[in-house]
Amino acid sequence: MLSPIDLTAAQERSLLGRTSPLVKLALALAWLVGLAFTLKAGPPVLLTGVAIAAGLVLGRVPPARLVRGLAPLALVAASIALANLLFSASNTNPSSIEFARIGPLRLTREAAEVAAALGARVLAIVSVGAVFAQTTDPTSLVDALVQQGHVSARFAYGALAAYQAVPRLGEDLATLRHARRIRGLGASWHPRLVIGLLIRAIRHADQLALAMDARAFGSGPRTTFRPIAWRWADLLVCLGGLAALGIAMSL
Amino acid sequence: MLLVVGPSGSGKSTLARAIAGLVPRDVPGEWSGSLQVGTLETATAAPAEVAARVGILFQDPGSQLVMDRAADDVAFGLENRAWPLAAMRARVPDALGAAGLGGFERRRGARLSGGEQQRLALAGVEAPWPAVLVLDEPTANLDPAGATALFERLALIKAERRTTVVLVEHRADLAWPMADLLLALDATGTPIDLGVPADVLARSGDRLAREGIWLPGDVSSRPPARPEIRVPPVASAGSTIGAGPDLVELHGVRFEYVPGRPVVRDIALGIGPGERVALVGPNGGGKSTLLRLIAGLVRPRLGSVHLNGLDPARLRAPRLAELVGYVFQDPELGFLADTVAGEISLGLDLASNHRATDLLERLGLSLERFGGRSPYRLSGGEQRRLSVATALARRPRLLVLDEPTFGQDRRGWEAMAAIVDELVGEGTAVIAATHDARFAATVARRRIEMADGWVVADDGPHRGSAASQRVTDA
Repeated sequence: MLSPIDLTAAQERSLLGRTSPLVKLALALAWLVGLAFTLKAGPPVLLTGVAIAAGLVLGRVPPARLVRGLAPLALVAASIALANLLFSASNTNPSSIEFARIGPLRLTREAAEVAAALGARVLAIVSVGAVFAQTTDPTSLVDALVQQGHVSARFAYGALAAYQAVPRLGEDLATLRHARRIRGLGASWHPRLVIGLLIRAIRHADQLALAMDARAFGSGPRTTFRPIAWRWADLLVCLGGLAALGIAMSL
Repeated sequence: MLLVVGPSGSGKSTLARAIAGLVPRDVPGEWSGSLQVGTLETATAAPAEVAARVGILFQDPGSQLVMDRAADDVAFGLENRAWPLAAMRARVPDALGAAGLGGFERRRGARLSGGEQQRLALAGVEAPWPAVLVLDEPTANLDPAGATALFERLALIKAERRTTVVLVEHRADLAWPMADLLLALDATGTPIDLGVPADVLARSGDRLAREGIWLPGDVSSRPPARPEIRVPPVASAGSTIGAGPDLVELHGVRFEYVPGRPVVRDIALGIGPGERVALVGPNGGGKSTLLRLIAGLVRPRLGSVHLNGLDPARLRAPRLAELVGYVFQDPELGFLADTVAGEISLGLDLASNHRATDLLERLGLSLERFGGRSPYRLSGGEQRRLSVATALARRPRLLVLDEPTFGQDRRGWEAMAAIVDELVGEGTAVIAATHDARFAATVARRRIEMADGWVVADDGPHRGSAASQRVTDA
């Protein structure tokens, strides 16, 4: 999950694949802000549908991949909804309308509405995230941030390089736990592991910074190997996304 | 081409980094004297000016790749020097092709083998045509095939005569014949000699050997007691060490990190008490995973592992620690205490503690000098020796070594070999994953070769069952 996703050629050539990651990012943020202003279940359900449909049709994401990516998170959304349905304060409010009863537990319509809205909201957020990840190469995201978003190159490429090191830290953690076990200490969680991991992370960062410096990074004006220009597709996706948000909010 | 040699901790890497202008700028410390590249004083020049002339390749292949994909990584140095786009588009495929990575443009650096990563890093360093190319132990982490491929590339660079090369390297047989000049440093970082390699060898060869520097054609100064064993006399090996029940028994063992992609495939293997086994084969062949299976650190997906008749993965940690000592490929990951003294005495009774202190002394890490130091502040070679001492302190039945001699100078290597010998006398089995042909040939009695998760060759004390079982299991 932490290592970069390999996009198929069709995914990269698709409309969403060619759209500037910055536009997708901005749209995702706009949708999140919009969702924060509604307590109804309708808008997030519609946006979830739009995101998934766009991912499949405009992003050419193989359905199996999208399902694999979404399934665990959909489960999270469902459990949030369930928890809110069962333990909502409105279940104990005598004025709310009861629609079912499980033993001593009273389930009310008000609780169900809130639970559905919360679950749908989480689902919408994870769908947008999954579609974004499945149509965006990390390198092109960073390129867009630097070239179109004018984010500092030092920060953006530093972050990209650090991101490459994340899978290595995972391996380091496994080895740290193995080392504890083989020395007779429990392999379970221990604060010392954090220290070990921190030292490793600093080591990786040091080496990386040295390697980047040695290759003249940050020494002056730089050119780019992967120039990005705004396209009509960006405008199209931007307008389409905003329209979907508008329709959803008016539900 | 200048070759720099010296024992562990002699400041070879620091010198390499100073030439690249990274010391003293990025590394705190005291600096005096003058170091010029061309007419440029590296200590005071602008970083960009030094970087425009000098490229440096580091030891660890993975940690110097900045970009996700190969072509982007090669272009990174060019972008930083503000090359025009057209020039970059022409140069990047050339540099990749020269490194033997033609067609790798879209490949992800993190998914390449160590050897490929190192050549990719070299392509990135070479791409901007540096006047000076500094290579800091570039083959230390590579398997023999990877090291040979890198040296073939170096030979071409040298033949082009376009670039001055400064090479820091332990592998004397590969490096010495290529060098025009040789600089030898002693343990304190003071130059011993500088000159044409043949002259230096004639003039100061003995001194270099005493300092623990590898010389070409150097098998070892230890008495040649151990014949080079390729096919050992089966009868004698079987009758002396292989006798009795196996200490380690594997049956049909398979392991996969990602379902459907086994890294260890259906291995059947027996290792007797006191055996010395070298586990060889290319990087990614499953050696480290096999070691972790044997030591009960990971569970096989299929098959069974027995250590001393027990399933090591189910043993409680203290019991496991009595049976197995383990030296990880990167010893730093194995450290659990804040000081060398704390590290060595961790979980030991008094008697074992004395023994451990003796071990440290023999490995050149006396407690008086090193006891209060942080394990993380030791040099790579020192860290490995400390790790070996901690692994041996409890007199385990099995010693597992993952690349035990990597980065060791001659003195460290000999100490390691001597320790392994002594332990085997006490009936401890040793299994070492290693790329070091010298170690495999002289210290081990049995050689198991792995490739792509299979055991492809095993010349050890013959166990008919192991070999035939593999066939039937497969």
